[in-house]
Amino acid sequence: MEPATLEGSLAALRPTLLAIARMQLRNEAWAEDVVSETLVAALEGARTFAGQSQLKTWVIGILKHKIIDQFRRARREVSTEAQMEAAQVETFDELFAADGHRLPGPLDWGDPEESLSRTQFFDVLQMCMDKLPAGLARIFMMREWLEYETSEICKELGITSTNCFVMLFRARMRLRECLEMNWFASAVKS
Amino acid sequence: MIFGWIRIPCTRAHRLLSERLDSAIAPADRWRLRLHLLVCDMCSRFERQIDLMRVAIRKLGE
Repeated sequence: MEPATLEGSLAALRPTLLAIARMQLRNEAWAEDVVSETLVAALEGARTFAGQSQLKTWVIGILKHKIIDQFRRARREVSTEAQMEAAQVETFDELFAADGHRLPGPLDWGDPEESLSRTQFFDVLQMCMDKLPAGLARIFMMREWLEYETSEICKELGITSTNCFVMLFRARMRLRECLEMNWFASAVKS
Repeated sequence: MIFGWIRIPCTRAHRLLSERLDSAIAPADRWRLRLHLLVCDMCSRFERQIDLMRVAIRKLGE
């Protein structure tokens, strides 16, 4: 690949990388840093990228590593915020009857594959992730996007596994609610 | 009564459905959950929805 072409392709990827880094790190300066580091690493490593995979897949792989490095660098701050979030209690009582039955709520989401094929769905997902408290968003993205094992998350953040399950549950409940209100329940999908 | 032992409310089923995505749950809980899902549409929907969220997040950047 010609360097000029590679630079152009990387520049075009930058907004996507930044959006993902913001979602995961919830810190503007960290997000800018990891994206810059990722782009530099991609340029430097261009020779090892022989086009076996898509450029985007390759660069996102680098971004994941840079994000993990950033979490290590900011360990103290990240774990303090996670522990503060772990102390929050959220029962979701309003969604359940007194006997524990789920009140009619979850809508039928129809054909989810169709949603996943739309770019706007991912804008809504991003907006909903932004609404989560930072501590919940980070742990959720660690689990679902970085694909950490739950035990690794507990260790990294210094929280108990029970706290970990509860926080992941809270993140899923809130995200589900937000997606339903802003995407699945709305008729304006076109 | 076996049903008293095996029946769980939706609050518990919701938590187990989430926990199941993060670690192995106890065999007894697996049975409780399976039976609950057979009769509960709301929890079955919740199950499909959190599965979809997982797929959606993994697709980020693709």
